[in-house]
Amino acid sequence: MDCKQATSLMHEYLDDELFGEEALSLKGHLQECPSCQMHFKELEQTEMMLFATIKRSSFSASDELVDRIMKTIPSQHKQRTWLKWVKRHPALTAAAMFLVVMLFSALSLWNSDDQLVVKGKDLDHVVINGRTVTVPSGSKVAGNLTVENGTAEIYGEVEGNLTVIDGSYFQASTAKILGEVKSIDQALDWIWYRITNTFTEVAYR
Amino acid sequence: MVDHFDVRLVKLARQGDQESFADLVDLYKDKIFHLAYRMLSNRHEAEDIVQETFLRVYKNWERYDEKQKFSTWLYRIATNLCIDRLRKRKPNYYLDAEMNDQEGLDGYTLIPGDERTPESEYLLTETQQTIHYAIDGLPAKYKSVIILRYLQELSLSEISDVLDMPVTTVKTRLHRGREFLRKKLQHKVL
Repeated sequence: MDCKQATSLMHEYLDDELFGEEALSLKGHLQECPSCQMHFKELEQTEMMLFATIKRSSFSASDELVDRIMKTIPSQHKQRTWLKWVKRHPALTAAAMFLVVMLFSALSLWNSDDQLVVKGKDLDHVVINGRTVTVPSGSKVAGNLTVENGTAEIYGEVEGNLTVIDGSYFQASTAKILGEVKSIDQALDWIWYRITNTFTEVAYR
Repeated sequence: MVDHFDVRLVKLARQGDQESFADLVDLYKDKIFHLAYRMLSNRHEAEDIVQETFLRVYKNWERYDEKQKFSTWLYRIATNLCIDRLRKRKPNYYLDAEMNDQEGLDGYTLIPGDERTPESEYLLTETQQTIHYAIDGLPAKYKSVIILRYLQELSLSEISDVLDMPVTTVKTRLHRGREFLRKKLQHKVL
């Protein structure tokens, strides 16, 4: 047996994988060869050192590490189930998204209008004072009159419809309104009004 | 005994039981930390590895084969993460080269002191330090085998499972690593 072979057997021995004849032949070689004896001794000591030292020096992670890890985990879990639901119901998700967007846009339109708006074809005789829109007695408004966010006081004559949105109206005994009188102050009514108004506007254009 | 306990915890954690998962983290965090600390010699990085390992476990439960030991799977994830880190760490720039954007600034100024000295973080004897440095100086492929063998006391076949390589390769690496350490320690502690 040469020394190279012996070295390889030494390692096998340290791996607990040297038995029988091979073990005996290594023993024989070690007794004859002082340099291999030295080599083996060093290897054996290294082995012992490694096991002993590494085991003894116990490094431990900081205690808050478990918390830190657990904090990163549940958040992911929630997100994943949420995503799973979305993936499973694409149509419902789309419908829900559409509803949400519609609701928000409608609400924002409704809320943003708190300025006084007066609409009509013939506004020459209309008197506006603060939030009060007055049609004085004796004067005549040709066509429709719409008042948003204000009070309409009618003393004279309106030849079309009178529409009051988010406000109130007062009709004097002298007033004469040829068309309909409509008062709108609920969100749903308002939306309906918007929709029909859009359609009629489109239709008459 | 311990193994049975393990299997039950793993089963529960796999089904989404948070408490069992926390128990598993608690049970294994120090082992993984020790492994990562030996591989990287840096406390912060080692803690990152622990965190990343458990995150991967959580995300990849479906890939875990219950016939395998949980610890083997765990060590495999952790060692792979460590080896990736070591690979990325390889400097691909020269420290002496001046930075392009700022004058008078070179690579040295970016190094936040030497964090890699173990004695600054733990009280170690001189012998322990010498051994620690010797292990630290091992090339990565020997390092992982040596650490799994001496720190986690895994058998050769377990190491081959963790590192996903044939037992013969594990043996060769272990033998070379052992010789390397012997030479390093020869005149210092033996």
